[in-house]
Amino acid sequence: MVKAPDTLERADNSQGVRCRMVAASLSGKAVGQPVMRVDGIAKVTGRALYAGDVDLPDLLSGRCLRSPHPSARIVSINVGKAKALPGVRSVLTGADVPDTCYGRMCKDIPVLAKGVVRFVGEKVAAVAADTVEIAEAALELIDVEYAELPAVFSAEEAMRPTAPIIHPEAVEFVPGAAASIHGELSMYPPIPNVISRLRVRHGDAASALASAHKIFEHSFAVPSVHQGYIEPHTCLVAIGRDGLVDVWVANKGPHIARTHMAAAIGVQENRIRFNPVAIGGDFGGKGSLMDTLVCYYLARAAGRPVRMVMNSFEELTAGNPRHSASITLRTAVDPDARLLAIDARVIFNAGAYGGFVPVPTLHGGYGELAGAYRVPNCAIEVLRVYTNTVPCGHMRAPGAPQVTFAVESHIDMIAHALGLDPVEMRRRNAIAEGDLTPLGEKRRHLRCRETIDAGARAFGWDKPKSPGIGRGMSTYEHPPGNFGLSTVALTIGIDGRITLTLGSPDTGTGFHTIAAQLVAEHFAVSVDEVEIAQGDTLSSGFEAGASGQRLTTTIGQAIAAAADRMKQDLAALAAERLNCAPSDIGIGADGSFSAPGAMIDRRTLMGWAAERGKAPLTCQGENTPGRHSDRTSFVAHFAEVAVDRETGQVRLRRIVTAHDVGTVVNPITHQGQIEGGLIQAVGQAMSEQIVLKDGAVITAHLGDYKLPTAMDIAELETILLPGGGGTAPFSTTAIGEMSNVALPAAITNAVFDAVGVRLVELPISAEKVLEGLRAQASAA
Amino acid sequence: MRTIKLTLNGTSVSREIEDNRLLVEFLREDMKLTGTKESCGVGVCGACTVLLDGTPISACLALAVHADGRAVTTIEGIADGDRLHPLQESFLRHGGFQCGICTPGQILAAKALLDANPHPTRAEIQHWMMGNLCRCTGYYKIIESIAAAAGAE
Ligand code: FES
Ligand code: FES
Repeated sequence: MVKAPDTLERADNSQGVRCRMVAASLSGKAVGQPVMRVDGIAKVTGRALYAGDVDLPDLLSGRCLRSPHPSARIVSINVGKAKALPGVRSVLTGADVPDTCYGRMCKDIPVLAKGVVRFVGEKVAAVAADTVEIAEAALELIDVEYAELPAVFSAEEAMRPTAPIIHPEAVEFVPGAAASIHGELSMYPPIPNVISRLRVRHGDAASALASAHKIFEHSFAVPSVHQGYIEPHTCLVAIGRDGLVDVWVANKGPHIARTHMAAAIGVQENRIRFNPVAIGGDFGGKGSLMDTLVCYYLARAAGRPVRMVMNSFEELTAGNPRHSASITLRTAVDPDARLLAIDARVIFNAGAYGGFVPVPTLHGGYGELAGAYRVPNCAIEVLRVYTNTVPCGHMRAPGAPQVTFAVESHIDMIAHALGLDPVEMRRRNAIAEGDLTPLGEKRRHLRCRETIDAGARAFGWDKPKSPGIGRGMSTYEHPPGNFGLSTVALTIGIDGRITLTLGSPDTGTGFHTIAAQLVAEHFAVSVDEVEIAQGDTLSSGFEAGASGQRLTTTIGQAIAAAADRMKQDLAALAAERLNCAPSDIGIGADGSFSAPGAMIDRRTLMGWAAERGKAPLTCQGENTPGRHSDRTSFVAHFAEVAVDRETGQVRLRRIVTAHDVGTVVNPITHQGQIEGGLIQAVGQAMSEQIVLKDGAVITAHLGDYKLPTAMDIAELETILLPGGGGTAPFSTTAIGEMSNVALPAAITNAVFDAVGVRLVELPISAEKVLEGLRAQASAA
Repeated sequence: MRTIKLTLNGTSVSREIEDNRLLVEFLREDMKLTGTKESCGVGVCGACTVLLDGTPISACLALAVHADGRAVTTIEGIADGDRLHPLQESFLRHGGFQCGICTPGQILAAKALLDANPHPTRAEIQHWMMGNLCRCTGYYKIIESIAAAAGAE
């Protein structure tokens, strides 16, 4: 059902969040409440333990020597002088580590370079020493002789027949990871340097294009950006006397990382323990082992624990940033501006290694290629290509920001060319209940038009504006992830308190608090009665980790399953205590148990059970992994800019972001996801870019790589359209990747609206706008 | 090597250190006060912000000897026993943090602001906090937390 406009919930950022979405079936104690973070006190007092805060006796510091060349043969490495430096405990080169390569799907990343280097920043040698300073001094003493080889930096050039082949040997990969892909996938097809080619067809795009009323074709380029987490990649490895390998690492999915590490180092999974730590921001960038393998080999060689922290230069030059992309879209429309067909080609530059992503190609790179529009015919081709540049990884909605910038600019360009209002263009083509998505998928509970309308109204889309002011919009649709196994354990102690043990860290989003709220809601208790215990990988059940907006759904299902079992066990206990059949037991709103003529609260019951050896009680729960949920989330962004015609300077003045959401579990963390994602998108739109010169990253200092600051934010209004119908427990949907994807196009569309300059490349810069204005002037 | 004497979170401390020891290393490694974070190491992100005689500085750029004879305040030193500082309370209540890695620096920078200017405008807060990067929150709730703490004081 569509809500009348006056029942829309608004969050006004100047006065805090005022949304309350308590459905009738909720207790009012947990889900829907602005509960404070369960890890909050630790975080505001500095007590939270991050990987870099872990201290062990005899701890060494590890550092890596990195390649200065984008492509070269290693002729020789001499580590004699480095080994002789006092305080140095181990020195390793590629010759000292096994040949096994690591990767989350494509196993192409060596622990240390073996014979060749493929990008500037590749690890060539590693040192563990008493201090970071000694380790760095030792790196200076390592002599490496290189013979430079031809290199290729652009993905388009890398696909040419004459291009140097970056990985001449066959790369092993996990075929299972391709299972969730639509369309026709070829891994390592016979095109130079191509990792994967995906073709998705729906309908008959070629015929539709051939007979169309009008066709529009535009090309776009989106540069690589860094995830920008403030905590750098950090790991610590200690090998016990009994051979147990203890790991502390800033990683969003410890169970999977453990499995990958076991395979890479040849140690059994249950002889490796990933220990829980707080994660200082992830945004998709902390899914790999990064330095953990080299750290392990250093620790093994030195016989002492080793810690490795990437410095900010290494993060920016050799982290695993978002893929850059070039995108060409050809779209056919009918005389009513309805989209008939899209033909799309996307080329992602993967950099020198593909192993940082767990899938064949970036899901957002094809799934979003026709946006949230009704397009009966699609022909999509997506290529991921090796080049001699920094290897790329996942970042918040992998592939989607790049492709959505293209789609949402393209739609705007078509609207302007047809003389149609951009809002009307989107309303007319947005998918509605009963429509299939461009990939032919079903969605339920779609409210695209309602969300666009609510946002446009709040924004004042139709209100008059002054010269130099521009307004633009963009949209994005995506369901929550419902893939991967989640396992949890619920324990009710003899004092009646509830503990949830899970294997997922809180990467910063507040997920542990959400989990506590979900547990509390099942038992109609306050969150204070629930404890969250993040187990290590030996003491917690398997958890696929934070990814693709999945945790609230998948762990939510696991919690629901465990809670159901727990309630049955409790009812059986209560029945025994109250001398009745379990079917006679009722559970009150306060969590107490009643039988005809008798009643007992949880704490008393557990005390009674403990005396009989029947408490504490523990129940496991797991989810039923599928693909994506069919209940989706949708967002419409509206941006207002002021453009200075003299300088080309663009100032972002105002954002209205309208979201079709499900049940909001916690209004504070929900709004936090929206705001944080938006400002990441502002960074991608306005200032961030990994700049390469001869293959090397030259934006290698945070002074050059410009993250948004508190001065760069704009006036913000958030509109939430709450509604039910989710597939996840308590009808939640996803929010984590909803706000960061589409905003850049709203801003460039606003620039066009202000001064008629169309930017088809991010980020926006005064130079590009000025160039556009000059071109306009000379054409006039 | 030399001996420095300083007041650290209200307690006087004397330690022998290397001349080139950075303040952030002294705090995190020698004093085991790991609430102070190090991220960029080049004075841009503000994660290592501590107060030196009440003024916010980047501990990743300052030498520990610089603190000789002076007072250093870290995140561990602003609560009153179990009673949180009003800014800590406010960040907690208003969601002024997510991953928390920037939070100690944010809170100390904000404390210096409110100590000097107890009722800043939003624009003054934004301007002052410019040197403390946060990738998680988009700053709105940090500003809100500081404004609320200023109102409460
Ligand atoms: S770590 Fe000191 S300013 Fe970034
Ligand atoms: S809370 Fe994560 S960087 Fe600020």
